[in-house]
Parts: sequence; C-alpha cells; structure tokens
Amino acid sequence: MIRAALVLLLLVHPAGAEVMSSVVAPPQEGSVIREDGLAAWDRVHAVVSHPRCANCHVGADNVPMWSGPEYPQTGPHGMNIDAGDSRIGAETLPCTTCHVTSSAPANGPNDAPAAMIDWQLAPVEMIWFGQSSAQICAQMSDPARNGGRDWIQLAEHLRDDAAHGGFVAWGFAPGGGRQPAPGDLQSHIDDVLKWGAAGQPCPG
Amino acid sequence: MELTVNRQRHQIDAEAGMPLLWVLRDILGLTGTKYGCGIAQCGACTVHIDGVAVRSCQIALADVGGEVTTIEGLGTPDAPHPVQQAWIDHQVAQCGYCQSGQIMSAAAMLALQGEPDDAQIDRIMSANLCRCATYPRIRAAIHDAARRLATG
Amino acid sequence: MSRAGRIARRGFLVGSVAIAGGVAFGAWRYTRPLPDPFAKGLSPGTDALNPYVLIDASGITLIAPRADKGQGARWIQAALIAEELDIDPAGARIEPGPVSKTYYNTALLQENLPIDPTDTGWLAQTLRAGSDVPARLLGLQITGGSSSVPDGFEKLRSAGAVARETLKQAAAMREGLSRADLRTGDGNVILPDGQRIPYTELAAEAASIVPVQDVVLRAPSQWRILGKPVQRADIVAKSTGTQRYGIDLAFDGMLYASVRAAPAGSSVAKVEAAAAKGMRGVHSIVPIRDGIAVVADNTWRAMQALQAITIDWAFPDLPGDQQAVWDGLTAALDTAQIDSRPREIGDVENALAAGAVIEAEYRVPFLAHAPLEPMNATVRITDSQCEIWTGTQIPDFVVAKVAALTGLGEDSIQVHNQMIGGSFGRRLELDFILQAVQIAQSVPGRPVKMIWSREEDFAHDQPRPAQIARGRGRVANGQIVALDLAIATPSVTASWFGRVWRALPGPDATITAGAGDQPLAIPNYRVTGHRADEVFPVSSWRSVGASGNGFLHGCFLDELFAAADLDPLQGMIDLCSHDVSRRVLNELREISGWTGRAAGQGRGRGVAFCLSFGVPCAQVVDVADTAKGMRITRAFAVADIGTVLDPVNAQAQLSGGMLFGLGHAMNCELTYRDHVPEQTNFHEYQAMRLHQAPEITVRLLENGPLRGLGEPGVPPAAPALANAIFAATGQRIRELPLSRKVRFV
Repeated sequence: MIRAALVLLLLVHPAGAEVMSSVVAPPQEGSVIREDGLAAWDRVHAVVSHPRCANCHVGADNVPMWSGPEYPQTGPHGMNIDAGDSRIGAETLPCTTCHVTSSAPANGPNDAPAAMIDWQLAPVEMIWFGQSSAQICAQMSDPARNGGRDWIQLAEHLRDDAAHGGFVAWGFAPGGGRQPAPGDLQSHIDDVLKWGAAGQPCPG
Repeated sequence: MELTVNRQRHQIDAEAGMPLLWVLRDILGLTGTKYGCGIAQCGACTVHIDGVAVRSCQIALADVGGEVTTIEGLGTPDAPHPVQQAWIDHQVAQCGYCQSGQIMSAAAMLALQGEPDDAQIDRIMSANLCRCATYPRIRAAIHDAARRLATG
Repeated sequence: MSRAGRIARRGFLVGSVAIAGGVAFGAWRYTRPLPDPFAKGLSPGTDALNPYVLIDASGITLIAPRADKGQGARWIQAALIAEELDIDPAGARIEPGPVSKTYYNTALLQENLPIDPTDTGWLAQTLRAGSDVPARLLGLQITGGSSSVPDGFEKLRSAGAVARETLKQAAAMREGLSRADLRTGDGNVILPDGQRIPYTELAAEAASIVPVQDVVLRAPSQWRILGKPVQRADIVAKSTGTQRYGIDLAFDGMLYASVRAAPAGSSVAKVEAAAAKGMRGVHSIVPIRDGIAVVADNTWRAMQALQAITIDWAFPDLPGDQQAVWDGLTAALDTAQIDSRPREIGDVENALAAGAVIEAEYRVPFLAHAPLEPMNATVRITDSQCEIWTGTQIPDFVVAKVAALTGLGEDSIQVHNQMIGGSFGRRLELDFILQAVQIAQSVPGRPVKMIWSREEDFAHDQPRPAQIARGRGRVANGQIVALDLAIATPSVTASWFGRVWRALPGPDATITAGAGDQPLAIPNYRVTGHRADEVFPVSSWRSVGASGNGFLHGCFLDELFAAADLDPLQGMIDLCSHDVSRRVLNELREISGWTGRAAGQGRGRGVAFCLSFGVPCAQVVDVADTAKGMRITRAFAVADIGTVLDPVNAQAQLSGGMLFGLGHAMNCELTYRDHVPEQTNFHEYQAMRLHQAPEITVRLLENGPLRGLGEPGVPPAAPALANAIFAATGQRIRELPLSRKVRFV
C-alpha cells in the first residue's frame, strides 16, 4: 500500500527531490538465508554504485565525479570543483553556491541538483565511487566506517534522510531528466534489511 | 514575500518558485546580475546571500533565507569595492557580461580566504565562465584586490 | 598636394551640416550623395553626410558605427576621432548612430577579395582600392573580420581633424584673428591670449562656414590617446554592473517573451498549448514562423510557459545526423570538382611521385558561438514605425529584412544598436531579431523584450562548420619537398549571405583561408578547397575559415617538419617568404626561449603560425602530462598589427583570442542527432575555464600594415597545442576536440 502510494507520488512529481516516506520493518535476525541475503546485497549494490549515489561518495581528493548516461565520459566534476576536507566546500566554493538548499526542490532540465538539506560529499570513509561490490559491502558492514550503525540503523538512516528530503530521496527522484537510482526507496530499505537479517554477507 | 536586497526591504508578489535572478532583474530592475545559462554553469548570476556566493538562477524566492547583495550593492562607479577597483585598474572586462558574477564570486572568496594562491583561485573561480577568456587578468586582479583588502 | 590628389588618396571628403543648435561633421565619398542618416533631423537643403561628430550646446557626441561586442570597437572609434578633435573621449557621449548605408565597411570587403594578404604589388593594391565600389553598392555597415580599426583609421581621424580646424576657423572669424594663431585643447579653441572658447559655443557658427579641408593628420609621435595605455570608457560600467546591454533594457508597459523554434529546415507540426494558457503572467501564445512564442509579464514566466507547451516538429526528409556531415565532407574531397586553388607552386604530383608520401587526414568539428549574453531583441511596432533595440553587427540587413517582413519602408525602421555581451560571430545573424519583430506585431504599440533561453541558443546556433582535410607531403634531404592539402567544408559565406541577403556567386575564399594563403616557400605547394553541401546552416565563428584551417595546416606542417627532422620554428623561419611574418617568428623564438620541441620527461612544446585577416600571428604552447591530466603550463603569442592604437586592449584581444582557441580545441564540439545539436547548455560545452588557462606572454609588433586583432589570435592556438602534445607524448592527434584522445586537467 505504501509502496503503491510512493509510486503514485513519483508519477505525480517526476521532477526533483522531495520528502519521501517509508517504513523500516526488519525481519527477524537470521530469518533470511545467506543466498537471499547476497541477492539482496546485489540489489543494494546496484543502487549505491549508481552514479546518482556514487558520484558524491568519493575518496580523499574530495572531488565529486560526473559519470553516468548524462555525461559523454566519466571524469571529475567540471569547473575544477574541490569540496575540501570539509566535504562541503567550506575552504573553496561551497557546494550550496550552486546546489542550493530548497524547501521544494524541483529541477528543470540540467539544473544543478538540489535537495532539502545542504549539499555535500559523503564522509570520506564511505567511498563508493570506483570501489568493488565487496569493498562497498565491507565498508557498509563496518560500524567504524558506516557512521557507527548496525543494519537496522542503516535502514533507519535511509528512511530518515528521505523523510527530510535528503540525498537518498533525491537519488530516487533526481528530476531534470536524470536517470534515477534503480528501484525505489522502500525496496531499497527492504533489501538493506534482508541483507542485514542474513548477517550482512558480502560477495567474493 | 519579503526580500532584502542591498539593505533595502521589498515586498515581492511572485511565485515561491521564481528564481531570485528573475526577481532581481524583471521585478526589481537590478540588471547588473546577468542571465547566462540558467543552470549554474556560468556564474554570471552570482549574488551574495548573507555574504555567501549563490547562483541566483538556482535559488527560488521562497528559499532566500538571508540578505541579498548584488553587484549594485557591492560598490558603485563613484565608490567601487576594492575588488571592483582592481577589476577597473587591470581593465579585466572585454565584453563584460560575465564580470558581475566574477566580481561577486571573487569578493565572497576574499572575504574568507585572505590572500589566496593561484591554486586556490583556480579552485574557487573556475565555476565562473568567461567566454572572452579574460582569465589572466582575473587572476591578476584577484591577487591585487587581496593585497588591498589585507592592507585595509 | 593638390586638393584633388588629397581626395584621391583619402577616397573621401569630410564635410559638415547644420543641425538644430549645432553642427555635424562627417565623411562622404563620390559625387552621388549617399543616404543621410540624420536627414530627418537636418534642416532642408543640406547635403548628405555621414556624421561622426555632433556638437551642440549640450555637448559633444561621437558616432561609433561599428558594433562593440567586447573587442573595444566603440572606444577605439571614439579615440580615433578624439585624437584629432582634441577632446577627452571619456567626457563625450559615444553612440552607435543610426543605420545608414553611408557607414559602409571597406576593409572587410578587401579581406574577402581573392588577393594574397601579403601581396603589396600594383595589381593587388589596385584591386583593394577598387573594392570600395562593390562595398558601396552593397552598403555594408558590418562589424567583423577585424576590420573596424583599418576601416576607421583615416576616416575617423579626418573627421576629427576637419571638425577641429573648422571650429578654429569659426573662432578666428568671430575674433578677427588668423586660424594659424589659434590652438585647441580639451574641447576648446584657445586664443593667443589664453582665452578658451568651448567648442559647444562655436558649433552654430561652425555650421555656417565651409569646412576646412586642408588638414594634415598628426604623426603617431604627436598622439595623446592613441598608442597609449588608457582606460577604456566602458571599463568602470563593466566592473560595477552598470553597463547596460540589450538584454537589460526596460520600457514602460514592456512585455517579455521567449521562443522555441523548429530545428533548422523543420517546421511546426502540432502544438499543445492548453497548459500554458492559464499560467500566471502569461499574456499570449504567439505562433511565429517555424516556432512558438510566449508573451508574458516577465521573462521567467514566459520561459516556464514555453516549457509547458508540447510541440511536435515536422522534420525534413533529409539526413539529420552527424554522420551525414562526415559523409558529405568525404564525398566532397573525393570529387574532382574544386571550389578554389589559391596556392599552386611547383609540380606537386611529380614531387610526391618521387618517393615515400606522408599522408594524414584531419577533422574539425562544428563549434557553437555561445556568447554569454543570450540572443535578445526588444521591438516596438506600430502601423507606421518599427523600433528595434538589439546588438547587431549588420544593422543594414536588419532594416532590409524587417522591411520585407513588415511591409514598412526602410525609413520607418530604426535600429538602436546596443552594447553586446560577446558575439564571436553570432550577432552576424538575424534570426532572433526577426522573431522579436513577429512577436511585437502581435502586440502593436507595446515594446516586447524577447530573450532566448541558453538551450534555445545551443539548439539554433549556426555553427562554425565541420571540416575534413587530407594532407600529402614528402620530405627529402632534411627538407620539405612537397605539401598538398585538400580541404572540404561547406561555404560559410554562401550559407550566411543566403540567410541575410542573397546568395553570392563564385568561389569562397574562407574555405581555404588560413591554409591557402600562408607565406611559405615550399617548392611544391598546393592547397585546394572543396565545397561540401551544407547539411546544417553554418556561419562565421571567430577567425572564420582560419579557425579550422589553421589547425589542419599548422599540424600537417609540423608532421612534415618532424619527418624531415627539422625544428618546426626554425623550419618556418627558413621557409617564410614574408618579412613581416618572419619577424613575428623571430620575436616568438626570442620571448619563448625556444630551443626545440623537447622540454623534459612528459613535457613538450608546440609552435604554430597563421596569417589571417592580414595579421601574422605565431604562438608557442608548453604542456606537461601530469597525474591529473594534460596541463597547459605556459603560452606565448606574437602578432604584427602595424600600429598598436590601444595597447591594453590589443594585448587582451591577443591573449583572449589564443585562450578562446585553446579552450575550444581542448573541450568543445557540437554534434547533431535527429536534426538538432546534442549539446544543450554549457555543461556539455565546457570551453576554457580559469583552471585550464595558462599565463600568456604576448608581444605586439608594428612592422606591417594597420590591422585589427579580434580574430587573428585564434587560429594558431589549436595547432600549437596539438603539436605540443605530440612533443610531450609522441601522439599525433588529428581530430578536435583533443579531449577525445587526451584527458586534460
């Protein structure tokens, strides 16, 4: 029911990030077999490695990426952008100079992406861009590198970010004709939970 | 909606989603802020909101959470801001269309950065496009302005 | 010198007429008067005149008819007048003046004659001297081809000098003195006792006397303004947001509009506009020729409403993809039919047959002009009059086409030329102005300001054409023995003239410009132009034909130097057959500290030369292959423009031209798919930005004829960069943009 409502919401408002509601309903720990957990991880990986997500989950050079079908070739963000160690451009050019914080982000074609929270890079330890599925899986399973979260808290983080119109919501509804991350928010949360309930198995 | 621009308060009757750029240009008549691309690629529309550089083509009227300063509010022909004076002394402008945005970006940077080196200038100013490619003079003018601001 | 001799030398006369409360000075030529742009404001019976100086009680106005798009034309025209008039140009009004066929551009037409630019022989000079006849017939008030300075150099200074001497004569008659005893300074006639009479007080008296014709123009050593580093008049306004461009105009009761037009050659098939009609601020939805406009109470609302309109285009039954362009260029090269062969020395075929032939194929892409001020025009039209406020390089053609469109007489159409936020050739087109006129016709009496979105600009540029060229060459005994270059491209001149006026017959010199006219004494040397059919309309882009040909020719020449194991700079100096050009190359060697291509591991130096628009320009580019990508580390440019009238601006033009060339060579192309360019805005067309711009050392020489510098800085940049990348990496890149093969920082 909720999922159906969400799909409807996406159809009505195809452009721009927005407040997205979702539920975290964790299965019993251990109730998901490893094989299903790995299958769920593959779907999670398809989301987090998608350019809508990975372009801003970059390493210690603090340079966001331009990649995906919208760009003729993969490369660093144009205009010599460097978000600095602050990861928000405080030392250089604030991300929010172009990626404005908006109460109702509604991207037109080619507008700079915007969300309801201040635009920024993900913390450096959460690097996804250019990483293998196994590497990202290891990072997301490691509380020292995932913001100190267990698998349920990871799902809650996704829910809460989206409820505030943050980057998770934006990734699934980026507007401006951009290709969204595959699937939808609720499926993504459900997959994270399945993967967690299976004991966070990683490929390889 | 209420909007403060160059220390003047205005009541604006417009859609919440109208970009600040068009409020400035078509409603308030402040045409020093330029339309160049509409998608935050050229920087010609740069203004300050509470001192921070913002592309006015991207921010909706309803999201302007602070006081706006435009190129007209930074300085005037009779009393130019030190960055504008450096731009005049170095005769940076060719067609001049991007220079309001260049100057606003440089002024915001210099308010925070002290005396930046070339690499810092490159990181901060490469998001402002100049089709005439006045870049060598932009660099020189920023160094000059930084020295002037540092010595007060 | 006799009066007749003076007239023949100058080719024009300076005269004056009375205007309300003052006097106008200007130039005309030939016996038959040309149309008088101020006729309506002049008293009856006055002769036709092409005014450059207006003086009345309110002050001095200088008329600068060539459009200013950032190259400083308005200022230099005013400075040329003011130098002789003895006024401070910063204190005068500088206005573009009305459209008039009297402001024709002789220099531009000379440039397009089939004469070698270095040829100073009798025949070439005679042809050049005669070129003002067709120019007058065409009545071209055109800004372009780096022609504003050469065209105005004598006309404008003469107008200033005649005005000065006539004002002195008026003062002499009033005071009972001899003109020879009087001096002038800062807008005053100065009497022997030091008393100063402002020009403005003498204007009415000056209008009533015969203008003084026997003036001698001042020698450069006497100049106060020209040749000196002065502050351009528009610099303060352009640094404080107070410069008004066409896009900034506002009038009482003005409406705003924006447009979506069909791709070139297409038309509107179906429009769904219901959703736009009720949107806030929307005044009307106006069908125009091959497009739809929305008129609203501000620009954004017009653009928003346009986005809510669904339009289906009817595409022509013609190829609409990039591949069709490449196929057409290849076919043009394969045909025996040639457009022109401006260079044919020795026996190329025999020379090539004598040994191993070096062959290469080069390609350059379409390039958009994309000046930063989007196309715009403000128009107010009534039953009897049409006023147009816009920035244009071709006001005459505007008037003619608007007359045809509206049925109004040409006298009823006024063009108020505006300061232009960049052009690079885009403002040589009429499309946006004609759209604005059609929109204004739907709201008679009300001014309408039409602004294109940037997306509309990319969708409707008439770009620099794509080209393919085949080079064949042979080297022997450490020398280039033969160079044969065949270039295929559609004709920019035919495409453009067809749009703005009517097609001109004959070969198009721009097809080979920058390649077929280079002063190199290669013993067997041939350059051939093949005209390809135009798949998409094309236009002049800064430096026109030389923009692409400079790359093809400059790179292939470098290949031959490398094959002959010659240093490319020394090789060019040795082959150079033009003294002014050779001095440019020598100066470049000096300032760049050139010792060869090699510059250490992962580094390289490239050099290129191109003579375009009569200006020899040579450039060196240094690159370093770094972990973050290829970086241009330094650049050097030398050009000879004969006389440097505005040194601060001339350096900016040379530096800017070179960076413009480098930026597009690195990053830019326009590619077509389904009849429209795939690139829609600057995120897909990243030209030069600050972090990619090297420091440039520029040097201007003054050995050749007086020339303008808006364009000649562009052509050598791309080949110098590609040659530097070869020096650094061993990789020959024969296709632009270079980013297809190289990652730049």
